[in-house]
Amino acid sequence: MKEFKLDNIPKIESGFKAPEGYFENFAQQMMQKLPQEETKVISIFQKRKVLAMIAAAVIAVILIVPIFNSQPTIAKEIDSATLENYLSYQTNINQYDLINALDEEDIITIKNNVAIEENTLEHNTIEDILVTNGNLEQLLLE
Amino acid sequence: MLEEKEFIQQLLNPKTQNQAFERLLLDYQKPLYHHIRTIVINHDDTDDVLQNTFVKIFQNLKNFKGESKLFSWMYRIATNEALTFINQKAKKGGVTSEVVQLKALDNLEADIDYDGNEIQLVLQKAIAVLPEKQQLVFKMKYFQDLKYEEISEILGTSVGALKASYHHAVKKIEAIVTKG
Repeated sequence: MKEFKLDNIPKIESGFKAPEGYFENFAQQMMQKLPQEETKVISIFQKRKVLAMIAAAVIAVILIVPIFNSQPTIAKEIDSATLENYLSYQTNINQYDLINALDEEDIITIKNNVAIEENTLEHNTIEDILVTNGNLEQLLLE
Repeated sequence: MLEEKEFIQQLLNPKTQNQAFERLLLDYQKPLYHHIRTIVINHDDTDDVLQNTFVKIFQNLKNFKGESKLFSWMYRIATNEALTFINQKAKKGGVTSEVVQLKALDNLEADIDYDGNEIQLVLQKAIAVLPEKQQLVFKMKYFQDLKYEEISEILGTSVGALKASYHHAVKKIEAIVTKG
């Protein structure tokens, strides 16, 4: 085939034609289909549905945010079990180091927790603990 | 322009809506049919896409802001519907949209609704292997005689880029047809 140039030849039509009579009925048929498509009730319902979905999404976000926010603070603090294990097995640190490391506040906290001096635990309870807990006795002896 | 604004008002007013929409159908059914047909090729598919297009137009009239012309807005909906149709068909068949179009063109030869001659079919097949954007620009410019400004509003591409696309399309088509 010799060189084909669109500009050198008469315009080529697309060649697509609708079947005979197609457009005569199309508009009418289309008009009959439309009212079913547009029922106002559906559109309002859909709007409500969208609003409900947005509301649900917002609530979900509100609920999730504190969880995400609280995670970093938890991660920053070493949990007490890990700390205890570390201190128990770390031979370089002796009791005096530990005591020196405690500040005023820690001592108060420990006092409150143990609460023996404060007399918040009744004697019975303390005795019970001492009787039933051999380990504790040993600890006290130390 | 004022006339178009008035017409849009009629389309939105429940009292005049039906009459106005019928006029819109009569005015645009042919251009939109041909636009869709050049993309989806087959008549029955075009019929489906055209109906969906008018339903979408009807449903979205209330959202039509009048930023573009009604004409370009409708063409844009038709283009999107036609491209979506082709892409869905391609996805279903696990092939590319190019294959879908070429297959539709092969079937055309036996189609009673197609009276194209050999050169028309050769041209269609050459167009079908072009990138999507070039195909659209070429079809809208060459077959439908739309102005670059109009195509620009429909496709949301600058006139300069459209001219370049059209130029590339023509060059590629000429090369393909010359090669045979």
